[in-house]
Amino acid sequence: MLKAHIIKKRREMTVDVSLELASGDALGLFGGSGAGKTTVLACIAGIEEPDDGFVQLDDLRLFPPSLPLHQRPLGYLTQDANLFPHLTVSENVRFGVAEHNEWIETLREHLRLGPLWSAPASRISGGQARRVSLARMLARKPPLVLLDEPFAGLDRQSVRELIDDLVLWRQTLGFSMIAVDHQAEVLQRLCPRGAIVLEGGRVVQQGAWSDLYTAPATPLLRSLLSPI
Amino acid sequence: MNTNRRWMARAGATFFALALLYPLTALFARIGGWQWSDNVRGPGVSSMRVSLLLTGCAMLIILAIGTPMAAYIAHCRTRERLLWQAVLLIPILLPPLALGILLSLAFGPYGAVGAWLERFGIVMTNSAPAFVCTQVYVGMGYYVLGAVAAFDAVPLALQKQAALLGLTPGKVFLRVTLPLSRLGLAVALSIAWVRTFGEFGAVVVTAYYPSGMPVQLWVDLQSFGLPAVMPLLVVFLVVALPLPWLVHVLAQRRSLA
Repeated sequence: MLKAHIIKKRREMTVDVSLELASGDALGLFGGSGAGKTTVLACIAGIEEPDDGFVQLDDLRLFPPSLPLHQRPLGYLTQDANLFPHLTVSENVRFGVAEHNEWIETLREHLRLGPLWSAPASRISGGQARRVSLARMLARKPPLVLLDEPFAGLDRQSVRELIDDLVLWRQTLGFSMIAVDHQAEVLQRLCPRGAIVLEGGRVVQQGAWSDLYTAPATPLLRSLLSPI
Repeated sequence: MNTNRRWMARAGATFFALALLYPLTALFARIGGWQWSDNVRGPGVSSMRVSLLLTGCAMLIILAIGTPMAAYIAHCRTRERLLWQAVLLIPILLPPLALGILLSLAFGPYGAVGAWLERFGIVMTNSAPAFVCTQVYVGMGYYVLGAVAAFDAVPLALQKQAALLGLTPGKVFLRVTLPLSRLGLAVALSIAWVRTFGEFGAVVVTAYYPSGMPVQLWVDLQSFGLPAVMPLLVVFLVVALPLPWLVHVLAQRRSLA
């Protein structure tokens, strides 16, 4: 169970968000640009430190005091694959694990990394880099996965494949997941049970997707959910 | 860039290089036959050994102390970082002769540290330790400031990602920060090498003996005149240039890889 109350002052607004996530569940954070979604995720990950509040993952206190990044049992995927360019694909995937094991082999096979395995990470395409990044995160089998628009800039086919992979691995490994995206259709696939909607750093609505579509709490949310 | 413009740029670069190397034409000046007799060659070869060995020692010290210091400064907040950078600029800023005088007084027998070291038999005037110490002071600022810039160039996101993958700060430094900044570090070290290898003003005050190559050039000039200086100058270039040049060759190969 993840429980968090994030308060983080920004120049233009104060992010003040509370959320709870049951073990093995998936929660979407939805909203327009600048709503505070990334800030909430970064504070849970430990990339940023909240000004106040708390973050508790099961029995582990992540904040306060701020638990060092290397002690946080979570995976974090962002828009940038953040692969280590001086290493090969296989070295990137094995980066956070002690040794090459069967699980790494499984990831290599299922994420179609075989042909890239020995390639330098700096020489692969954006879509391939996201797959490698996903494999690297899953290699450690984290109990909590945080996704910050990890499909931005990819073609629809690549996005579909990555979402399928994530859904499959979440069912297999049973990790909890918080996903951030400004595309409702992506979030619905990843987090079918519902989402929290943020505007101006505050929660304006939360619930099942059907509720968000039928009775959006704000004009902006209505606009975000309507077809272009 | 079209072909004409490229050739114009190349011509400009060639002119620049020729202007930079112009002083070397003095090697062909009419000063009489170059002198490389025993009394010039012996001390010359000895000074080459001194310069290579002791500058190498100084580089190791600079590397060992300067690298963690640079890593620390790179993670400091702006105000603290500016303070450390000002400290590093001071020995660079000082005229070499003035730095030599200050070092000579501070580490000499009447300085607190100098007197203390003498109790252990370490003499800090006209000795190998004095030579190395002076070179460390001369080169440290160049290396650390360059190393800070090299560490700054490593994306913070990669270092945080490595930490989130379970690496302790020390391992993040060894497995991510250091490999990704190694070319910048190598360039910083090569600049420090060039600067210290050619150092004369400070070393001539603190360590006239054992004479390194720059001091020996001065001695030859005083004792035998220009004909004795030229061969040692050529040897100096041949000895001092390969290391920093090799670093740039490696950097070039890396960027083309």
